[in-house]
Amino acid sequence: MSGATIEVLYFAQVAEHLGTRQETQALDAPVQAGAWLDALAARCPALGPAARLKLAINQEHAGRQDMIRPGDEVAVFEPVTGG
Amino acid sequence: MVVIQTEPFDVAALIARLQDRGAGRAGAQVHFLGTVRDYSPEAGSRSLFLDHYPGMCEREIQSLCNRAMQRWDILDTLVVHRVGELPLGDPIVFVGVASAHRGEAFRACEYIIDTLKTRAPFWKRETLADGQAFWVRQQHADALKTEQWNTDPNRDHES
Repeated sequence: MSGATIEVLYFAQVAEHLGTRQETQALDAPVQAGAWLDALAARCPALGPAARLKLAINQEHAGRQDMIRPGDEVAVFEPVTGG
Repeated sequence: MVVIQTEPFDVAALIARLQDRGAGRAGAQVHFLGTVRDYSPEAGSRSLFLDHYPGMCEREIQSLCNRAMQRWDILDTLVVHRVGELPLGDPIVFVGVASAHRGEAFRACEYIIDTLKTRAPFWKRETLADGQAFWVRQQHADALKTEQWNTDPNRDHES
């Protein structure tokens, strides 16, 4: 078995919908962020369409075309509202 | 310099800190102060809670400040942003820019607060007077402002 994982962080309403702020997921091979987000949205319909969700990979804003690799820190959130 | 904190900040102390860091070179400071406002005036707001992504917030804001330093002739920047539970009317964010002359500082300060609103990972949740709570939606106008900074080169210069 492989021990490859990613650390996933959820914030604000995304965390509320999923009932957690952090989880470790198995990930053996790189996956495109868009496909990974679609799977998350399918798992939790309350999140709404995956296209609305934003993500960061290793604390940098990322898009659906970017790759998530084993060992990455991935964050999922709605459009930010600071300031 | 970027600081994320739960406690209130003293604007006079932040201005003095920016002046000290300039060591006499700064002839101008421009500041933006954001305060907690009522996002749903018809229902009456009680308080605001700010969630944030520790680490990424500091990195993202510092990166915006670095871009401002490259784009305009400014000497220094200081951004303080609060998180956690904030009562109505409390200060949320301070953006200070020091420069030799005011024109560049005005533009850099506006750039930093405009882009912070669409790039820095903070999320506001408002609690109404009746106890009902909701997450604030990003304003389309804010996204447009960031887009304009990225596409309009005329904004770099005095007009």
